[in-house]
Amino acid sequence: MPVARYIFLQLKEVPQARVLIRRLLHEITTGQHWDGGKPQSTLNIAFTHQGLRALELPDATLLSFPVEFQQGMKKRAAILGDTGLNSPEHWDEVWQAESVHVWLGVHALSAEALETRCSAIAALLGETGGATIIGAQDAASAIVNGKQTTGEHFGYTDGFGNPDYLGFARSSQPGQGKLMPDGSWAQLATGELLLGYADEAGELPVAPVPHILAANGTFMVYRKLHQNLATFRAFLDENAALYGGGKEKLAAKFIGRWRDGTPLELSPDGPDQSIVKDPQRNTNFTYGADDDGTHCPIGAHIRRVHPRDAFGFNGRLIDRRRITRRGLPYGRFAAEDEQVSDTEDRGIIFMALNANISRQFEFVQQQWIDYGNDAHQGNDKDMLLGNHGGQGKYVIQGDRAAANPPFVCANLPNFVELRGGDYFFLPSITALGMIAMDLVDPR
Amino acid sequence: MSNINGKVYAMNAITPMKPWKTWVLRLIFFILGHVKPLQNDLINLSFIEFARWVVVPRNKFPALGNGQVKEELKYDYLLFFSNFNGTWNQYIDAFSAVLAKGLNLIWRWSEKFPGSVPVTIFKEYIARVQFDTDYYYTAYPHATANDLKSAHIVQAGFNSLSKRALNSTPEQFAADYLSFVIQVQTHLGETGEAPVVF
Amino acid sequence: MPNQNGTVYGLTILSPIINDEKATPSHDLQIRKYLATLPTGENSPFAQTPGTHLARLVVMDDVIYVGMPACEEHLNSKYLIFESNLDGGPTGDLDSYLRGLAQSIPEHLDAIWSHCVGYPGAANAQAFVDYMKACQLETTFFFAAVNDKSVPETLRALQTQSAVTDFIATHQGMEPSRLQAEFVQFANELKATPVPPAGSMPDLVHRGFRSPSEEIKTGGHNE
Repeated sequence: MPVARYIFLQLKEVPQARVLIRRLLHEITTGQHWDGGKPQSTLNIAFTHQGLRALELPDATLLSFPVEFQQGMKKRAAILGDTGLNSPEHWDEVWQAESVHVWLGVHALSAEALETRCSAIAALLGETGGATIIGAQDAASAIVNGKQTTGEHFGYTDGFGNPDYLGFARSSQPGQGKLMPDGSWAQLATGELLLGYADEAGELPVAPVPHILAANGTFMVYRKLHQNLATFRAFLDENAALYGGGKEKLAAKFIGRWRDGTPLELSPDGPDQSIVKDPQRNTNFTYGADDDGTHCPIGAHIRRVHPRDAFGFNGRLIDRRRITRRGLPYGRFAAEDEQVSDTEDRGIIFMALNANISRQFEFVQQQWIDYGNDAHQGNDKDMLLGNHGGQGKYVIQGDRAAANPPFVCANLPNFVELRGGDYFFLPSITALGMIAMDLVDPR
Repeated sequence: MSNINGKVYAMNAITPMKPWKTWVLRLIFFILGHVKPLQNDLINLSFIEFARWVVVPRNKFPALGNGQVKEELKYDYLLFFSNFNGTWNQYIDAFSAVLAKGLNLIWRWSEKFPGSVPVTIFKEYIARVQFDTDYYYTAYPHATANDLKSAHIVQAGFNSLSKRALNSTPEQFAADYLSFVIQVQTHLGETGEAPVVF
Repeated sequence: MPNQNGTVYGLTILSPIINDEKATPSHDLQIRKYLATLPTGENSPFAQTPGTHLARLVVMDDVIYVGMPACEEHLNSKYLIFESNLDGGPTGDLDSYLRGLAQSIPEHLDAIWSHCVGYPGAANAQAFVDYMKACQLETTFFFAAVNDKSVPETLRALQTQSAVTDFIATHQGMEPSRLQAEFVQFANELKATPVPPAGSMPDLVHRGFRSPSEEIKTGGHNE
């Protein structure tokens, strides 16, 4: 859906809050098939630990949630590398205050549908007196020639990375799941995303008690990532002048895909829309034949966050480090030749869904984005997302071809800055009902 | 956190073994030591700097007289010391995911070993048999096993290049230099502080 | 020889700690206390004496009861474990290492091991070596990621890696004769730069790269 608004609520007195949740139960979009085609808008709900405390779930239940969820994202700043420009003191007020109890995600097919749904929600809040709105964030897909695209502000085409799980009706693509010894791709265990199902380690993932509260639920990481578009464009232009492969190739080398989405691994010399448009090909590749990074640099973004076979062992070291990404860009899109400024409000709302925040999201953020040892890159950070602070470097491996030379980008600025966020629990409808009706019993 | 120094973590573990099982384990280690390809997985995991297993037969705890009471034990003990990079969770997750058979081969002779898969119960066992380090020193806290291997590759390439640099023409040197850069281009990761432990 | 892997030697020492109920604090606690305040960086005693890659000292209180049906049992003494990964050279020369310890850091050795049974003191190097060997356990299986480089070679290689990265980043697109001249100068300067001290976390604020027009400071110590 092309437009969205994320609404942040603070719950009021418990009885009214529970009434609100009960009323929202009827509005929440479930995973059932949309037989009548897509609805005009959808609504989802998630809670911070603060929010669950505000709803007075039993203490024993609250304490059974994973430590990182109990602490919330702000307290995990040092672990996530959210220091310097990304530290909480630079966050939007609503996140600094750690006052968000509930996240409501409204997605819609049009701006009108969005407003209609949001008004209805506001009315519900007024009627029940269950919560106040303490913040909101609009987001929307880039529209190019009247069509919805998956582009983001730096000009890259997003949306290829999502993993593929057992038991989900979405169409699966080779390259999204886990790598099998024979080179084919299989679906990941459901328990890597949803609690209450077997995960890749052959057990039920660690989850809060009681079982029914956790089952079919998941954890969501919400991060507002401001993008410094002016800095990015200037940096790209400056370095492109020195780089033998030219500007578009340099941009491709940062991420691992040409800006139109063509994977470097499949088409190192130029973009190829025929690959992009073919779901059987656009994410179907491995890095085994590119050990030296001459096609896709070994520190490129997509190679860092989804190493596929790059760590050996048929990819088994990475199967439990996958995350499902949701979220949309926010802010006004600027044409390539338009003057822009870093202070303009634009970026991407990053939302990651996973069964275990510390093993999946936090691990990837700490070990693969803000650090590089597993990728044999020492302390080097992810080129685009890393918290560089003006330092550090990015090595682009090359060969003797003049259009593919080895190249080092140094003195890296922060292209992306964190402006806030938190950790949320996204309960199943059953669990939501139990929360609403105060039926949660710890073991 | 005295278990950690820079990028390396010192893990100590002790597990009891029925004495007849110790002989099986010794044989396994003997084979592992002499059949190098069996160590490949361990080498490819590349986050262990040094690791050792020490079998301590029940009557071989050092006894130095001077009033020390000798040990009277039923079990032999297996001591394990690892110096690894990364977090405790990452380390055990990795072993459980890719070296389960090898781990089982070494630890199944220890009492109450639950198997290395699934991982949560395995981690509980390790937490029970692990004891903490009081003092940990490393000559290179800023480097991981990967950094070390890369550094040696860069040094070797640099030595060759330096020799040739003295006697070549600028064009020859430029070509040699490009070859050198290509040779070391995946080995230039910066060294430094480790990420915060979690 | 399972204690050896290439030129690295895996030393495992278990020293029984004196068990004296009248000592307060007890000997094991005194060791722990001393170790808690001992520096672990470039001021570590192990940095003052050559040959130690990685080493640890652990007071082992007791064996661990893993639960039924295993039997519960206890040690009669506590033990000080000394696990060291050291340069033994091709012959696995342990004696030189132990003598090196006795000669360079006797005060620390005495402060720690005087709490152990039968410790003769470090003043007599041979007695110290014999004592350590009496407490030595054979390493059954020893794994090393890198088993053929000494500590100085390792520190030198890390320094080179850092300096070379800096050079590559600041000499891109340079014309050949200037590149060659600057490289030769760089190589000479690097050779003359002392290796950072063992155990130190080099001040790698090295992440800011300067253009060749600025003075290149090599050796990994930048402002």
